[in-house]
Amino acid sequence: MKRRVVLVDDHELFRAGVRGEIATSVDIVGEAGTVAEAVPLIRELDPEVVLLDVHLPDGGGEGVIAGVTQERPAVKFLALSVSDAAEDVIGVIRAGARGYVTKTISGAELEDAIERVAQGDAVFSPRLAGFVLDAFRAGEPLGGDSELDSLTPREREVLQLIARGYRYKEIAARLHLSIKTVEAHVSSVLRKLQLSSRHELSRWAQQRRLV
Amino acid sequence: MLFERSSDDRVIAGVCGGIAARLAVDATLVRLVFAILALAGGAGILVYLALWIYARGRRALPAAALFAVASAAILFALGLSGTALLGATLLVAGLVTVLAAGGSLRPGGSLPRLGVALLLAGAVIFLGRRGASGGFLAPGAVAGALLLVVGPWVWQLTVERTERIRLEERAEVAARIHDSVLQTLALIQRHAGDSARVATIARRQERELRGWLYGSGVADVESVVTALGEAAADVEELHGVPIELASAGDVALDDRTRQLVLAAREAMTNAAKFSGAAEIAVYAEVGAEAVSVFVRDRGSGFDRATVTPDRRGIAESIEGRLERAGGTATIVSAPQSGTEVELRLPRRGS
Repeated sequence: MKRRVVLVDDHELFRAGVRGEIATSVDIVGEAGTVAEAVPLIRELDPEVVLLDVHLPDGGGEGVIAGVTQERPAVKFLALSVSDAAEDVIGVIRAGARGYVTKTISGAELEDAIERVAQGDAVFSPRLAGFVLDAFRAGEPLGGDSELDSLTPREREVLQLIARGYRYKEIAARLHLSIKTVEAHVSSVLRKLQLSSRHELSRWAQQRRLV
Repeated sequence: MLFERSSDDRVIAGVCGGIAARLAVDATLVRLVFAILALAGGAGILVYLALWIYARGRRALPAAALFAVASAAILFALGLSGTALLGATLLVAGLVTVLAAGGSLRPGGSLPRLGVALLLAGAVIFLGRRGASGGFLAPGAVAGALLLVVGPWVWQLTVERTERIRLEERAEVAARIHDSVLQTLALIQRHAGDSARVATIARRQERELRGWLYGSGVADVESVVTALGEAAADVEELHGVPIELASAGDVALDDRTRQLVLAAREAMTNAAKFSGAAEIAVYAEVGAEAVSVFVRDRGSGFDRATVTPDRRGIAESIEGRLERAGGTATIVSAPQSGTEVELRLPRRGS
């Protein structure tokens, strides 16, 4: 059974490229180029996964997520971006995306990421893992809810390996864990990223480009 | 020098034209100011003569004398007292300070603070006397003259500045696009048949453009992460293997971290040349105690024991370099499972 996927990106050329690469393994049921097009389309089609561009002409990917989740909470979003700006990435993750990958990702890896997100796991690119480690820096108490505002040593370890380019399977082998446990750690980090009330996170993301 | 008499913009001796050129304002304005001053007991004419004498032979003394007479004429015309004299003196002193310090009324030019302060104080005292002296016309004329000189300048300043900033930005974007994007497109056309090369060129361009668009914008400040990015782009271009760079934290580049970056570059080169991996992952972490760089590939790997000692790449360029900088290099590799080089450099003082 192929995963049902909606593609949201304002560049027709890019959509065609993605379609060509993954159409054999997933079922692309719809495409949209703007927030206004995407929201009703996703509500109607109720796909499993939405591949979401961070930047859209009439708002960000965040707008699409906000417009859909109420009615279709089961739809999973995977952010796809050319931007490396931390505030973009953190912004769309906090809005509810289950993962972030860069647009240079290979077709096979993208298929893998879609499958993972469809199963409810989180997908972090090495770059996003780096951002998160930077944001949840060790030894800097963040105030507020301590459980949500800091990473456990294990989570930190897992994220560091992701940043170093390890796949979940390799991380599991290296840390003597099951793949499920690795996935659980990543999902837990995603939850902290989304729920942490710390204002530091957004401020950090904003400042990062200025430093 | 204060000003040069204008040879092409002249009515009498080119004094007004010269001043106008010096202050970057319209000559008609300056003439108007002189004309108004001329109404004040002929002071304008005296000032004109003084400036003429000064400009011809750089003879300051007769010029100053004429100035004094002119000032007296103005004061007389205004019917002003000692207080006004003080104000006028301050005004003149301020002007002289400003001009002598090489200050310019041209937008963007420097204005000595002392001169400006003297001018302001002078103007306040001078114009403050208006009510007491009763004569409105003359002080009003002086104020009007000041306004005529300063007004257009302020206007010009704001308009020209925004214009200039806009032009500079456009020029910068144009230069950037020309240097990078257009060159890259030309390169791609030339190598259209070689897809691996085209991919590499496009990737490098993408990296550069992205660095410019989303980067710090402070191109002069070299940091470990930007230097690693450059090294990765170079290696990528030389060997055609994509390198993914991730980072947490950053720190300015110094002599020691530069060695770290060079060692990392060597590790990337090795991975690109010998591992046969399709991509290389580089991760830099700047912590409180140390800066670490990990270079990882999923390529063929190697057994350290089989590497001949004369292969200087690893021993010298990576391990030796890190040791000299006070750090350590750890290489984990096994045939078929890829290689990871970990470079760790403790931060100074910790």
